[in-house]
Amino acid sequence: MSRIGKIARRTFLIGSAAIVGGVAFGAYYVNKAIPNPLLDDLKDGEAAITPYVKIDQTGITLITPRADKGQGSYSIQAMMIAEELDVDPTKVTLTPGMPGPAYYNGAVMDEGAPFPAYDESWIAERVRGMMFIPAKLMEMQMTGGSSTVKDGFVKMRLAGAVARETLKQAAAQRTGIARASLQTADGHVVLPDGSTIAYTDLAADAAKMDPVTDVKLRPETEWKLLGKKMDRLDMADKVTGQTVYGIDMAVDGMVYATVRANPGIGGDVLSYDDSAARSLRGVQQIVPISHGIGVIADNTWYAFRAAEALEIEWGAPNYPATTEEIFAELEATVDNEDRFDHRQRNDGDVDAALEAGDVIEVDYRIPFVAHAPMEPMNAIVQVTDDACHIWTGTQIPLFVRNHAADITGLERDQVYVYVLPMGGSFGHKLEDTHVQQAVELAMAVKGTPVKLTWSREEDMTHDYPRPAAVAKARGQVKDGKVETFDLSVAQSSLMTSWFGRLMGPLPGPDATITTGSWDQPFEIPNYRVTGYRAPDMVPISSWRSVGASGNGFLHDSFLDELIHAAGADPLAERIRLCMHEPSRKVLEAVKEMSGWDGPSMGENRGRGVAFCMSFGVPCAQVIEVTNTEGGIKIDKVYSAVDVGTVLDPVNLEAQVFGGVIFGLAHAMNCETTYENHAAQQDNYHVFEGMRLFQTPEIEVQALTNGDKIRGVGEPGLPPAAPALANAIFAATGQRIREMPFNKHIKFV
Amino acid sequence: MKKTLITAAALSAGFTLAALAANTEGPDPHVDVTLLEEGSVTQADGLAAWERIYEVVSHPRCANCHVDETNIPMWSGPTYGEARPHGMNINAGDSRIGAETLMCSTCHITSADFDTPPNAAPRYGIDWSLAPVEFLWYGQTSVQICAQMKNPDTNGDRDWKGLVDHLVHDAEAFGPVLWGFNPSGGREPAPYGLQAHVNDMIAWGAAGQPCPTE
Amino acid sequence: MKLTVNGTEHEVDVDPDMPLLWVLRDTLGITGVKYGCGIAQCGACTVHVDGAAVRSCQLPISALEGEVTTVEGLSNAETLHAVQEAWLDHQVAQCGYCQSGQIMAAASFLDLNSDPTDAQIDQVMSANLCRCGTYPRIRAAVKAAAAKLNEGA
Repeated sequence: MSRIGKIARRTFLIGSAAIVGGVAFGAYYVNKAIPNPLLDDLKDGEAAITPYVKIDQTGITLITPRADKGQGSYSIQAMMIAEELDVDPTKVTLTPGMPGPAYYNGAVMDEGAPFPAYDESWIAERVRGMMFIPAKLMEMQMTGGSSTVKDGFVKMRLAGAVARETLKQAAAQRTGIARASLQTADGHVVLPDGSTIAYTDLAADAAKMDPVTDVKLRPETEWKLLGKKMDRLDMADKVTGQTVYGIDMAVDGMVYATVRANPGIGGDVLSYDDSAARSLRGVQQIVPISHGIGVIADNTWYAFRAAEALEIEWGAPNYPATTEEIFAELEATVDNEDRFDHRQRNDGDVDAALEAGDVIEVDYRIPFVAHAPMEPMNAIVQVTDDACHIWTGTQIPLFVRNHAADITGLERDQVYVYVLPMGGSFGHKLEDTHVQQAVELAMAVKGTPVKLTWSREEDMTHDYPRPAAVAKARGQVKDGKVETFDLSVAQSSLMTSWFGRLMGPLPGPDATITTGSWDQPFEIPNYRVTGYRAPDMVPISSWRSVGASGNGFLHDSFLDELIHAAGADPLAERIRLCMHEPSRKVLEAVKEMSGWDGPSMGENRGRGVAFCMSFGVPCAQVIEVTNTEGGIKIDKVYSAVDVGTVLDPVNLEAQVFGGVIFGLAHAMNCETTYENHAAQQDNYHVFEGMRLFQTPEIEVQALTNGDKIRGVGEPGLPPAAPALANAIFAATGQRIREMPFNKHIKFV
Repeated sequence: MKKTLITAAALSAGFTLAALAANTEGPDPHVDVTLLEEGSVTQADGLAAWERIYEVVSHPRCANCHVDETNIPMWSGPTYGEARPHGMNINAGDSRIGAETLMCSTCHITSADFDTPPNAAPRYGIDWSLAPVEFLWYGQTSVQICAQMKNPDTNGDRDWKGLVDHLVHDAEAFGPVLWGFNPSGGREPAPYGLQAHVNDMIAWGAAGQPCPTE
Repeated sequence: MKLTVNGTEHEVDVDPDMPLLWVLRDTLGITGVKYGCGIAQCGACTVHVDGAAVRSCQLPISALEGEVTTVEGLSNAETLHAVQEAWLDHQVAQCGYCQSGQIMAAASFLDLNSDPTDAQIDQVMSANLCRCGTYPRIRAAVKAAAAKLNEGA
């Protein structure tokens, strides 16, 4: 069996099914082909085909189940199908479809496997393969982990190819011309004489046939769409205001709502007075919900105004009241053997080496940060006696469905989730607290659709932020080289907190505590990374690049400190230590791009380099800064990444721009702090991120030395913060070991 | 003693107060003006009045938009720690109203209803702008501002009565003077209040506009 | 209360304090204009009033004087505005949520100043927040739109 055949067989089968007036092509559940006792309890309905391509007389629809939060996933999923199907992606309908288990994401869980991404040994591959099963058991139709391309690369092209060949077979039957003599182009089968038959015209015939599944995927050299400069399919709508985001959706007869929930997350409402709110114009109903009070009104602004007017006495949640207390707990956790979580890197003999003395020892801190996408959380929910309809932008449609079923008491298949484009997420929309609130409100006005919108203040004070962390680093240098590297990282478990909300806490160690530091492709004689788990405190979640967003800073900053202590060149020493060919090549690429000749660039100027491999993508960056009178100015960023295969060079560059800017923005000036249990940063005036005038010129180079295709939505982020800190050190001599950096230095 | 009572009705002519109708319980723009005869106030009382005036005009509510030729307004307040340049890289340009790039009025709406939510863009009843560049207050000492304010070349060609008139006119138009004492949105108002400030301006003027020497 | 949006007159019965943003979005169903922060920090709600950029979250409907244009009304059915065209050419949008505000801000700016310096572009466009990090392409697209407008002039 061909390699592609094996991949297909392992994960899914492609088939077809008759639909009204046409045919659908898509994936069958794996257990129908390969019996698997783990999956025996699936209901029959779930084994039905879940399509990626639907064709009937009225047109062609491509289904793109990975949600679009700005990273271009709708577009690239359509391009992957269209590449094999031979349709013009601008002339077909795109829809995310209804959530279904067959759209499970096998790739998103890869990062949970206990092997670094560069480890492609047999055992590592085998364990990663097994991660498909837990992902499927968890019905993880999830968008995240830079996994859309990785997960869909074979699956979606195969769906297109099966559809194409089956349509050709239908044409062959109709015309008597052998399938091998037929071509396809622009949604038509082309006969040898040049005449054409539209796919839509063949759909009814194809529906009666067994699908042609012995298809070969086209090699990269024959691609017409993929790998070329392409326009995103959602761009025209986005520049003309036509895109309907979740917050723009309208359903007949809907009412508008907002909530004020306890800013101490999970705390109760002790008492409330709604007399002032009730008397305001446009207010229909005040509805107590879990942990808060909802307002239903004629207009979102009436709801906001009335929510402000509510007087509510809050109960305390079960976590420490202040950032100070939380950090004290983290300090008490790091290197505390009673709170040991995992140690996946332990090379050489660190303890013996450190005994010998001359130890460099420093502390680092990572703050909580909110996601704060531009579109605040929102959902429309309509609950009737036998159905619950939900319109929302989400990365986790199946969990949304399950939670709504639990709250309403309806069966899961009575809950319909319509996924809409998202105005950003960065991990925020891996949560659905707001949808659950909307379900509660909708149950209070049964039959009436309720559109819930969080105010910006509600959104930022009810975010589940990136975890805060405390780290201790110890190391040694010898003969101008890095000899010992020992990093201990302490934080609460994001997987416990997040999965606790989704479906119940995951057992076992939480790899995300050290993801981005234990799994880096370096060889250091004594090299150890240990994760310590603090108790659950403020509820936390995934934030763009997850563990690597903090660990990338910890690992590379300390590596830079050791290299400087050794008196070595920061770039040359990283290249010397790197034992993974594609990683070394990205380091060499930024050296070349930046014309690197050492960290010093003359008075008040300096450059820093950083590297982080995340989601299997090695990324290196060089940042140049000037220390001006008004503060640090970031002049230029050079970034090289290796994603194995580039499908969309234009969007790849955009995603790296985005990762770099998001990484720099929060490293410079963003943190979420807590007083009296409540997040203190409630709007953008105190959570500034980056503005255009602070944005450096950014140069991106994509390499393709890695032998697997990878996603690029996140890997551009982790090296940005350490590269900036390293550059500031080069320009000023000041080493910054805590984000946000503006606690220690001023920026332009 | 010569007394002049300027009424609100007399001064409101010439100003558009379109949004006034919506303003049900806004700040009171009314000021009683009792001009004092020149020389009727002692130097010491005049200097004391000036020191209070200085406290007002150097207060962030007033000084943040009386900035130098960089044309960059300032921000201050409890959420920012020390004063800082207006966020978003804002520059009002030589026009002092942002005409070269982004009009101040893009965010600072013209409305006599001062009541804005905390952290929203404040507004008042005339078009938002920086004060003319020669009216520099931000970061200036009492000596510097006093010299600026008594010099017709740098105060809009006004004698002390003209300064009093200016305060009254501006307040009647629901302009920045009235706003500075009633800024809403949880902002700290300039001290003493409008009436006291006008009284101090009169006392300082009647004392011959004495300035501190250091 | 009457208002004209994209050339169409509407009669609305709302609280005089309601910001134009919410009249447009919830009362009239014109949703190209976005809610991002409610305090004039992000610019996602930028519209034109008589051609000038205004943050509609700050403008009480009772204080509105002039005709409103939203991103839906920036171009006619056949041709895109030069700014929108530049945004398309440069593939600016990622999530796109802030972009109607960015585009309205840029269009009004270029109307005031069709030959801006780089520093002026950095000033005006810094007032609009983008969380995806599209700034490098915004910068390039504003320059391209300015060049195009000058060509046509």
